[in-house]
Amino acid sequence: MALRQFSWVRSIRSSAARGEIALGSVLLSLGLLFPLRTSAMSGGEGGDIRLELSPRICTLTTGNTQCDTVVHASWRAPGNESLCLIIVGRPDVKRCWEQYSEGSYSIELVFSTDLVFQLKDLGLQQVLASEVLRVIREAIRYRHKRREPWNIF
Amino acid sequence: MIIAGLGQVHAAGNEDDCEGPTADCVAIGRWNFSVALGAGVRTNPLVNGKDIPLVVIPQLSYYGKRFFIDNLDFGFTLAERGGNTFNLIATPGYDRVYFYRSDLQNFFIGFPNAFEPGTPSLVASGTPGAIKVPPPAPRITYLAGPEWTFKYGPVSGQLDLLRDATGQNSGDEIRAALGIPLLKSVGTVSANIGFTWKSAATVNYYYRVPILYSGSAAFDPFIKLGYTLPLSSKWRFNAFAEYERLGNGIADSPIVAAHGVATVFVGAIYTF
Repeated sequence: MALRQFSWVRSIRSSAARGEIALGSVLLSLGLLFPLRTSAMSGGEGGDIRLELSPRICTLTTGNTQCDTVVHASWRAPGNESLCLIIVGRPDVKRCWEQYSEGSYSIELVFSTDLVFQLKDLGLQQVLASEVLRVIREAIRYRHKRREPWNIF
Repeated sequence: MIIAGLGQVHAAGNEDDCEGPTADCVAIGRWNFSVALGAGVRTNPLVNGKDIPLVVIPQLSYYGKRFFIDNLDFGFTLAERGGNTFNLIATPGYDRVYFYRSDLQNFFIGFPNAFEPGTPSLVASGTPGAIKVPPPAPRITYLAGPEWTFKYGPVSGQLDLLRDATGQNSGDEIRAALGIPLLKSVGTVSANIGFTWKSAATVNYYYRVPILYSGSAAFDPFIKLGYTLPLSSKWRFNAFAEYERLGNGIADSPIVAAHGVATVFVGAIYTF
């Protein structure tokens, strides 16, 4: 089942098919990984692929300009898929699976604007699923201080 | 005056020109804490009264949309329009600070020692033939009432009409002051002038001596000169000198030795 995994990403924790990673390593070492199926279309165009993010929202409070958090992305498909998880505008982040029906991936990210996570085919041509991690800046309202010339300060 | 002015304004918050943290504006829903570190003193006008050192002066405040806490004062903003603000406030009676070093207001004014009543005495202990008079032992009181504050150009003003709300003396008090920036370059030089008027009931609660003295209403004007220099985003230098003249109703009391109260302070304020 597990034919190949690619990881070009800066990963803090990756739980994606943990067992398969070890198995893949063994198979790689045995030279049994090839030939490969590399089509991302084998799972029915990815129409039913579900991508979930945790957290889905990062709230910036006063004095904080950036979110710094571990983001956990997980996906599930009705059948085996070959695909890659990317973040739009972040070419340093890319995680691929080949012939898996599910996977998850955790990464520590520092960001100040919305992040768009996408699952794409291995050729990165077709978007199979997409989710947005939103950045919300806490709305701070202000009012007048009390004027107090009678007081000590 | 306050009630009349209240009719001229709309509900609080209808026109809020505060869009960020400035000298006049503060974030809603957050605690603000600062502490002044320095050296200073407030004189104690009581006979044998010990002066109040000013070394560490913590300041805290919290502003809700209408409710606010300002050190030991509590308030509710009824209306705000343009430069006028109308509040209902509750504030501690001030004069107790001269009698009790441990009074909470001394915590916000200076550097309180352990419990140490500044109980005045009229004669040295052991004086032959002296009549023993029980010294005043004022309790903590809270005054409540309307407050009008305003900003007219660079000048800010405050007028509080207060009445004892704790049933201790049923006295009245009027506090009024103007804050006037005099010079603004690297730092700011400002002057505050104002007064406190205390009804006879308030004066007597603190300064009456049974058999010997019963006071009348007192008018206490004050003037303060201050200088503030921002040192960084968190620190600013601050120095001020204030003199308050005590009205005759207070100064004539046999437990009062001075006709005025002087305050000086030089230090730095750190805002958290």
